[in-house]
Amino acid sequence: MKVNANIFWLLAVFFAVVAVAYSIWSYFVSLAQIEDYAQRVGPGGITEGHPEWVGTIALALCAVLAGFIAFYIGKVHKAQGGELPEDRLDANIDDGDPELGHFSPWSWWPIVLAGAGSLVMLGLAVGVWISFIGAALTFVAIVGWVYEYYRGNFSH
Amino acid sequence: MNRPNVVAVGTIVWLGSEVMFFAGLFAIYFTLRGTSPELWASETAILNVPFALTITIILVASSFTAQFGVFAAERLQPRRTGSLLQFTKWGMVEWFWATFVMGALFVIGQVFEYATLVSEYIGLTSHSYGSAFYITTGFHGLHVLGGLIAFLLIIGRAYAVTRFGHKEATSAIVVSYYWHFVDVVWIGLFLVIYVLK
Repeated sequence: MKVNANIFWLLAVFFAVVAVAYSIWSYFVSLAQIEDYAQRVGPGGITEGHPEWVGTIALALCAVLAGFIAFYIGKVHKAQGGELPEDRLDANIDDGDPELGHFSPWSWWPIVLAGAGSLVMLGLAVGVWISFIGAALTFVAIVGWVYEYYRGNFSH
Repeated sequence: MNRPNVVAVGTIVWLGSEVMFFAGLFAIYFTLRGTSPELWASETAILNVPFALTITIILVASSFTAQFGVFAAERLQPRRTGSLLQFTKWGMVEWFWATFVMGALFVIGQVFEYATLVSEYIGLTSHSYGSAFYITTGFHGLHVLGGLIAFLLIIGRAYAVTRFGHKEATSAIVVSYYWHFVDVVWIGLFLVIYVLK
């Protein structure tokens, strides 16, 4: 887990450096374009230089994305108090078989939800009235899925 | 030893993808702002900043109540042990209802703000400022709405179970992660749209 966190930190630093380089570079490119415009067409138009926004923001937030995951994985690693069996060379397969969480053995609800979502999208394409039916079914599917193990046989 | 909670780690990775979704929206906003600075100068003057600040404070406060709800869920305490007014004895359900009310106030405030702006001739299709404003704040508003529905589902789970356990606490925690995320995105949007203009 420590290695996982460090890889994401590395990515975060990389994207941060690239974002700064990209914004400065594209700023000077815009200055050159303004000068070029003034020489060929004459004064006027946009006079202030600016970085190229789409790439600058995308790269900067890539750094945030990687740093965010790195920070969380680092926190998880600290909280687990030791290395997981899968991170140890001397571990056996049966060392890693505690309860991992609740996994539904099978369920119809994902298919219902996918079908309802398809109806919403279909409605946007061919006629919005279908979307309303899809939205109602989406509501039923979400409630059905969330409460699948909270009623009937499985209520606890 | 504590194994990492797969639901929590998965939620964080998904929120990472949400960061990139909002990156696209911020990119739209800054690009359009760069291409028509005069439009931005005239239209941002119409914004009601004190009102936006008020609903921002309400949303930020709702993150704190959500976190107190998480503390209660981690104690595996779904319901209050004292009276309704003794908020130190509230359980997860009471704190999440408080969060829900404040989140709903934020959405109501946004609807009111939209209605006011439309009456001042800023619509979604009026010009590029209108598009940028409604697309960024609108997608954020839809996220808040989704969070409100998620809180209702979590509160419903707490009512549905007889024994509130770690599975219920986990779903409460990941919904709070989402809520904090949406809150932080709004702080970014608020700074860009209402402060930086």
